[in-house]
Amino acid sequence: MHDIIRQLEEKREMARLGGGQRRIDAQHARGKLTARERLELLLDDGSFEEWDMFKEHRCTDFDMQQQTVPGDGVVTGYGTINGRMVFVFSQDFTVFGGSLSESHAGKLCKIMDHAMNVGAPVIGLNDSGGARIQEGVDSLGGYAEVFQRNVLASGVIPQISLIMGPCAGGAVYSPAMTDFIFMVKDSSYMFVTGPEVVKTVTHEEVTAEELGGAITHSTRSGVCDLAFENDVEALALTRRLFNYLPLSNREKPPVRPNFDPAERTDESLDTLVPGNPNQPYDMKELIAKIVDDGDFFELQPDHARNIVIGFARMEGSTVGIVANQPLVLAGCLDIRSAIKAARFVRFCDAFNIPILTFVDVPGFMPGTAQEYGGIIRHGAKLLYAYAECTVPKVTVITRKAYGGAYDVMSSKHLRGDVNFAWPSAEIAVMGPKGAVEIIFREEKGDPVKLAEREAEYKAKFANPFVAGHRGFIDDVIQPHETRKRVCRSLAMLRAKKLENPWRKHGNIPL
Amino acid sequence: MFKKILVANRGEIACRVIKTARRMGIATVAVYSEADADALHVELADEAVCIGAAPSKESYLVMSKIIAACRQTGAEAVHPGYGFLSENEEFSRRLEEEGIVFIGPKHYSVAAMGDKIASKKLALEAKVNTIPGWNDAIDTPERAVEIARDVGYPVMIKASAGGGGKGLRVAFNDREAQEGFASCVREARNAFGDDRVFIEKFVEEPRHIEIQVLGDAHGNCVYLHERECSIQRRHQKVIEEAPSPFLDPATRRAMGEQAVALAKAVRYQSAGTVEFVVGKDKSFYFLEMNTRLQVEHPVTELITGLDLVEQMIRVAAGEPLAFRQEDIALNGWAMECRINAEDPFRGFLPSTGRLVKFRPPQEVPGQVRVDTGVYEGGEISMYYDSMIAKLITHGATRDAAIERMREALNAFVIRGPGSNIPFQAALMQHPRFVSGDFNTGFIAEEYPRGFNAADVPHDDPALLVAVAGSIHYRYQKRGSGIVGQLPGHEFRIPSGYVALMGEAAYPIEVAEIPGGHRVRHDGEHYDVLAEWRFTEPTLHGTLNGRPFTMQAERVGLKYRLFHWGLQATVAVVSPRAAELMRLMPKKAPPDLSRFLLSPMPGLLREVAVAAGQEVKAGETLAVIEAMKMENVLKAEQDVVVAEVLAKAGESLAVDQPILRFK
Repeated sequence: MHDIIRQLEEKREMARLGGGQRRIDAQHARGKLTARERLELLLDDGSFEEWDMFKEHRCTDFDMQQQTVPGDGVVTGYGTINGRMVFVFSQDFTVFGGSLSESHAGKLCKIMDHAMNVGAPVIGLNDSGGARIQEGVDSLGGYAEVFQRNVLASGVIPQISLIMGPCAGGAVYSPAMTDFIFMVKDSSYMFVTGPEVVKTVTHEEVTAEELGGAITHSTRSGVCDLAFENDVEALALTRRLFNYLPLSNREKPPVRPNFDPAERTDESLDTLVPGNPNQPYDMKELIAKIVDDGDFFELQPDHARNIVIGFARMEGSTVGIVANQPLVLAGCLDIRSAIKAARFVRFCDAFNIPILTFVDVPGFMPGTAQEYGGIIRHGAKLLYAYAECTVPKVTVITRKAYGGAYDVMSSKHLRGDVNFAWPSAEIAVMGPKGAVEIIFREEKGDPVKLAEREAEYKAKFANPFVAGHRGFIDDVIQPHETRKRVCRSLAMLRAKKLENPWRKHGNIPL
Repeated sequence: MFKKILVANRGEIACRVIKTARRMGIATVAVYSEADADALHVELADEAVCIGAAPSKESYLVMSKIIAACRQTGAEAVHPGYGFLSENEEFSRRLEEEGIVFIGPKHYSVAAMGDKIASKKLALEAKVNTIPGWNDAIDTPERAVEIARDVGYPVMIKASAGGGGKGLRVAFNDREAQEGFASCVREARNAFGDDRVFIEKFVEEPRHIEIQVLGDAHGNCVYLHERECSIQRRHQKVIEEAPSPFLDPATRRAMGEQAVALAKAVRYQSAGTVEFVVGKDKSFYFLEMNTRLQVEHPVTELITGLDLVEQMIRVAAGEPLAFRQEDIALNGWAMECRINAEDPFRGFLPSTGRLVKFRPPQEVPGQVRVDTGVYEGGEISMYYDSMIAKLITHGATRDAAIERMREALNAFVIRGPGSNIPFQAALMQHPRFVSGDFNTGFIAEEYPRGFNAADVPHDDPALLVAVAGSIHYRYQKRGSGIVGQLPGHEFRIPSGYVALMGEAAYPIEVAEIPGGHRVRHDGEHYDVLAEWRFTEPTLHGTLNGRPFTMQAERVGLKYRLFHWGLQATVAVVSPRAAELMRLMPKKAPPDLSRFLLSPMPGLLREVAVAAGQEVKAGETLAVIEAMKMENVLKAEQDVVVAEVLAKAGESLAVDQPILRFK
């Protein structure tokens, strides 16, 4: 018996060493932590329960049977974050470069299946050179098994991917199917084809960092939701994101003790919107001043900055925030911002997270780049997402809500539950100048008269009351009482029940 | 007494005048420019009249508009505050002609003191010390030595056309006087084409000390002691205090009596200030008289218990002074910091924009006073002065006043535009300032290369670590209350942490105690008792029983603490995370010299260059519009543009890259 116990300890020790001390040192030299070190930081102290520590590959081609390492390049299991359950996998770059074998894939599938059964999120720490080439099609099959589970889990349990090393080729499609992707600057990259292939095919010279680094994906492509300085920061802030999410679509979003009074007013909001309608202001100031303790967990802060998305809490409960940002492109909706917001709205809807929308939108972005790029279809995504949504929807129009963009931004007509407007709101088909030039086309040559008409139009339509008369706005509220009014609305909506008609699935304009 | 007065000013001084008028039961009228429509003084006043566009020349400086506003509102008198029309003889005269009372000195007093030469002559006649010297051009070195001996060494030899240190020599003996004269003449001829040279007494280690006087229409005049204003940056006062740590009662009395003699000589009826330069030997010489209320008048109010604005109004209404010289108190010590919207770490560049947060410290009568004209959510406009508040503290002793000021600065929250609070805090703990040993050269001597973050030492890192530990524990505790935890496997808050600050790591143990936390570090314990709300940046509490005030914000993983002018960043992590953190690469900050960064938030009007373009030093790169002012960014050296990173029409944040150079 003693022998067996000793043997167990030895085997464990071997598994913990992964690819050996030399490779661990190399991993550290790259500024990266090992798979197990990462889990230590991600999970509550001592909560990790490891599975399949002894699992090995069964490949015999290329003399692979000579090289086996217990665990086969990935550490899997479950643990807790702030006492709440989560399943995890962490690829071990020190073992076969973290490459994915059939048995490696099998380990991932096992925890994903369990996560689905018990209703707990999956967090994947990716650090892998790609498919285990020696295994050939077995490895490819393994990927597809993982993809299939990613898709079935989508909208059932939250899935978060951290890219903490290479992630290339087909491997990118597992993270791509998850809800959030975080990357580490300088030590991670994601691309479908690497710089070498790019050079042969398109003759472009590009580094891995430029092609698929954290900066690239968090600014240009929008693939990455947040880019972090290093592993420690990435893991610590993943814990923070996790605290906003329900464990599955069967649960309400988590509630945390709150010490910020719902009745708190902020007089400085009364002067947030400048008198000049063309002068920008920072929508994030409004967000910070009305959410609990000013804590706003922003996602994609450097991509499509004309719209702001992220999580916050109101009276301790998670809300998803979508807000036009007048500081960037005057807050116009364009292809990138519509896609960014639509995806976020759908996440919130899937996981019962109420959506709080702040509107200051002069319309859709004009131009050939947008039209040729398909703004019609991509803009429709946001419209579709809001219209399909059944979670509580509270909307505050702070200034402009013009044209089709007014309809899109969680309007009353798209089953908005509570729609407020600030006194500075202008809900109209378009801005006064454009409107007057169309309605009074025959007076175009007379600037004095046109100015008169503009003033007239402004007085008549550049206010929230016309929409108020029709009930499109439930109330016109003072900016300083926004928090109070929104908190009450969300409290009233806590038990909201609304179902869409049965169907296999809708056909969102992808 | 007046029933209604008009305040012909803006900002903190307008608000301050309105407050006193209100206390005296006098109705107030504010005037404002279009840029000030939402300003605090407009809100505070009983009535307000718009007097034109934002630039002062079109509003606050237009006499006819102010007179019209008086007519329109029926105001019987005008208080001019300081600056703008406060020392304008014509304004005072025109008001008199219109039958409106000017709350300030009579126009003849203003006129007499308005001219430098005339005022010096008057001072001489009134037996006021003036700087000895020779005011006519000197022709030979021999004559120069003769005059220098007459004036008494050391002397200053200066070119008539000189300025900014150019064409200036100091001589301590005959030889230096002779040589200095020759070289000064040469330099003056070359530099200015004007070789006229003068000699005057050189005041060593000069201090700027001024005497507050108050006269009435009945021939009474008293002095309200001195104000020490030597802490100046480029001739702008930064800190003022009363009394001066330098004066003895005899000098104070001598200066006060001379100031009164001068005021009487011009039949001065109001509050005024006689400025002196004081040498290290306590010799003092008249510089000029300011015929208005000074910015720094509150320090005098706190040591004398008098309200100077009230006195000005009473005198203007014809009342005699209700006290005599021997009744004037000198009670304790008062200190004033001017709080400016400027960035001390960027050469004190003015900072404008929206005041996202503005929470001055709590006012405590007789201890802490805040005079301000702005509010949270208000806008700091670039049309006017950058001073947004005055923070004044009072204590029984100078040390007590300084201590109170340090705590008050800790509690002053300003977010949005930058402020000089870190600089003020650094001065408040500078050993030379604290000892009272300084002169007008202090800031130039102590901060020759400007002000840097490294100039703010913090002598108590344990306090920062303990507070960060306590705050972190609160966050952990709040997080541990989340619903949905595995029953029986709930999150247990650890007690051991490591606080990382700069390069240093502090292992700590944190435990809850009633009202706060006990933080152990290195065998010592620190009991942090504080009221802390996650929403508010300010933290008032005690550390081992000693009171402290601090500002704390969570930014990502770290806590940013503001204390004594220092901005410290502390991360509190588990011991294991601290260990692993050491493996993380130290990333060099990006090389910003290859970028053109936006120096201020604003609208990018124009990018004048394209990628690949060669640009010569001095050529325009981009134009930024901030607060309706165009700022042209020029190439500092010859460069080649690699990439244009921002488009015209885009709103820029401060430090946002606009161009990348090759």
